[in-house]
Amino acid sequence: MIQNPYSGKNLFEFLILFVQRMGELLTGKLSLASLASDEVQVLVLALVASSAATIGTFLVLKRITMLANSLSHTILVGIVVAYIVLLPWLPGAGAHAHGISIEVLLGASLVTALLTTLLTHVLTHVLKLQEDASIGLVFTTLFALGIVLVTVFTRSTHLGTEAIMGNVDALHLDDLYLIFWVALIDFALITLFFKEWKATTFDPAFASANGISSARYNHLLMIMTSLTVIGAFRAVGVLLVLSFLVAPVITARLCTHRLKPLLLYANLIGIGSALISVALSRHLLTVHRLPVSTSGLVVSMLGVVFLLVLASRAVKAKMQRID
Amino acid sequence: MNILRYFTDPVLQAPTLGSMLMCLSAALVGVVVVLKRRSLLGEALSHASYPGVVISIFILAAFFPAGQDWLAPVILLGAFTTALLGLFAIELLERRLKIKNDAALCFVLSIFFGVGVLFASRLQFEHALWYKTMQVFLFGQAATMNNTHVILYAALAALTIAILLLKYYPIKLTLFDRDYAKTVGVRLAALDALLFVLIAMAIVIGIRSVGVVLMAGMLIAPAVAAKQLTHRLKWVFILAGVVGALSGFLGNYLSLEIPAWGSGLGWKFTLPTGPMILLSASSMSLLALLFAPKQGLVGRKWRIATFRWVSQGENLLKFLWKKGDSAVVRFTDLRAQTPYSSLQLWLLLSGLQRQGWIKRSRSGGYALTSDGVVRAGYIVRLHRLWEVYLVHLGQGVEKVHCRAEEMEHILTPELEQQLVDLLNHPKQDPHHQPIPYSERLP
Repeated sequence: MIQNPYSGKNLFEFLILFVQRMGELLTGKLSLASLASDEVQVLVLALVASSAATIGTFLVLKRITMLANSLSHTILVGIVVAYIVLLPWLPGAGAHAHGISIEVLLGASLVTALLTTLLTHVLTHVLKLQEDASIGLVFTTLFALGIVLVTVFTRSTHLGTEAIMGNVDALHLDDLYLIFWVALIDFALITLFFKEWKATTFDPAFASANGISSARYNHLLMIMTSLTVIGAFRAVGVLLVLSFLVAPVITARLCTHRLKPLLLYANLIGIGSALISVALSRHLLTVHRLPVSTSGLVVSMLGVVFLLVLASRAVKAKMQRID
Repeated sequence: MNILRYFTDPVLQAPTLGSMLMCLSAALVGVVVVLKRRSLLGEALSHASYPGVVISIFILAAFFPAGQDWLAPVILLGAFTTALLGLFAIELLERRLKIKNDAALCFVLSIFFGVGVLFASRLQFEHALWYKTMQVFLFGQAATMNNTHVILYAALAALTIAILLLKYYPIKLTLFDRDYAKTVGVRLAALDALLFVLIAMAIVIGIRSVGVVLMAGMLIAPAVAAKQLTHRLKWVFILAGVVGALSGFLGNYLSLEIPAWGSGLGWKFTLPTGPMILLSASSMSLLALLFAPKQGLVGRKWRIATFRWVSQGENLLKFLWKKGDSAVVRFTDLRAQTPYSSLQLWLLLSGLQRQGWIKRSRSGGYALTSDGVVRAGYIVRLHRLWEVYLVHLGQGVEKVHCRAEEMEHILTPELEQQLVDLLNHPKQDPHHQPIPYSERLP
């Protein structure tokens, strides 16, 4: 094992070295296998951030982020159920070296998205419960069920804690492949049906008049969200994926009202925060001897970026008034 | 006695009573939250309270060793502060920046929680014991509660209940009619602020036993169950309180009894208390959603089914009546001329027979009894009266038949009398058919 080239680097040295090494990676001088753990972290987080920001834009505009919140909780039960149901047919799935294989992942995201949306729908429309209470009841109950199942089968709540908090330091090259596929699927679906997404988001009536079913695209979005949450949950933990889904979009929303710039800004904010946070986490370790949770740092960074954009907007408004 | 043991045993007593008190106050405040349709606010605020827990422990860890119970109020105060901060942030995002409610809630809950995780990781590396104290708040842990905790939570729960009782009338007014409340001099802004403080308080009290992540459910589930059972606000509060306290007890009971039962069968496992409390509460609300007498799914479906059954029987009577008072109609003819299947028809006919409205003749056909003639005539009368009424209202003659097909099963004798008076004792319907009348009561 060669030494991590980033150890002992501060923030700026980190960034410069990172750009250098990424250049080497692109020109083929550096193989994927020889990536340092910091680089894996940055790449994984950047891919999570980017796919989350892309999906999150539509979630925020469609005003269904609370369903994404539900999914981020119910994913736990989805994974457990997928393991119990799929394990007998997939001999290799359980023994996979780094947790989740792609089949189980797909199964779990489908199970979760279906279970959550179906139950919420049944509670609202069949049992006639008000919508906000239905959402809240479904995800807390399923999450409690998930924790109980995990505790009964693994005899510890450790997995539950890790699923919530995430563990960036335990990331592995396999996670990079995983999230790469997730991001690819997300981008492909968004780009291929961009017109349809736009129509169903801004004018569902117009969309349905043109034969585009809003409900179908909402369900697709739920499945994509749950896929992204599962892909990201080892890196940042399920609850913090939510911040990647919502915070960059809200921040970008302060700057623009147009869809394409919104997508671009949200992506940039997400990826930028991911890069800076990993660098800052290394910086804190090097300079101040402070080990901190990188996922916690990323989310706090998203909050800080929001405050900065807000402040700059306020300053700009004040300047205009003075002029 | 097995159940009493949970209230007398020195080890079990504190967790059981503590959980029950917490769930009681959460359930009461939850009623307000659910009726205001802000159920998901609880989710955001419980996550927003997490950094408060972490930061206050972070500060305490610098001065005190871990495991001192008298510091618990400081932790709760920290949680309360950041919960209020989160509330303030949500209001700001919604009011000033015009961000939609759902996005604002998600933003606040995830960012606040992230800050909590950041500080928690610092604690993990430096003060492992304090870190353990803090993790308790994530999923809740009733088992480690002792008498100091119980007294603290009892006091806070009592305070919550006292405020709710004192402000019961204005709260009731604002929940149902804000405009009226304003005109009678309720200060809405102040009362809303008070309610928000209560919500934050209930959350802070509750997270120790069910945890930050599941707290939202504890606010919602008991209120949902209670709302299914009654429409009176007072009873909603009382029933929600009962359901809350009961689930607090059941969570403790089940998380000890089920593993004990399992290990008897040779299967060793543990069950976490917090999730079990929530599962008890949500199963109770699910039961209420399904089986509540008036609003439950089963009750509603049953009423619809009986109404349909009665309507079909009445339609069959009408069919026989139109064939002539004493006409005998064979089963095969009924089968051919009505939309019902053989089984359905057989059930309907035997039902009508039991009520004494039709009889089976020796030749195997069916005919109306004299009671049946009156009954069927009465239904036709209602049908035709309603047609007259609709035409009276200005509807086209050709349209009124279909509407009357439905109303004939719904109209009551009082409505019939009022229609007769209003329409001045009509003798014919719009299609010039006579409106039957009988002295005998149907």
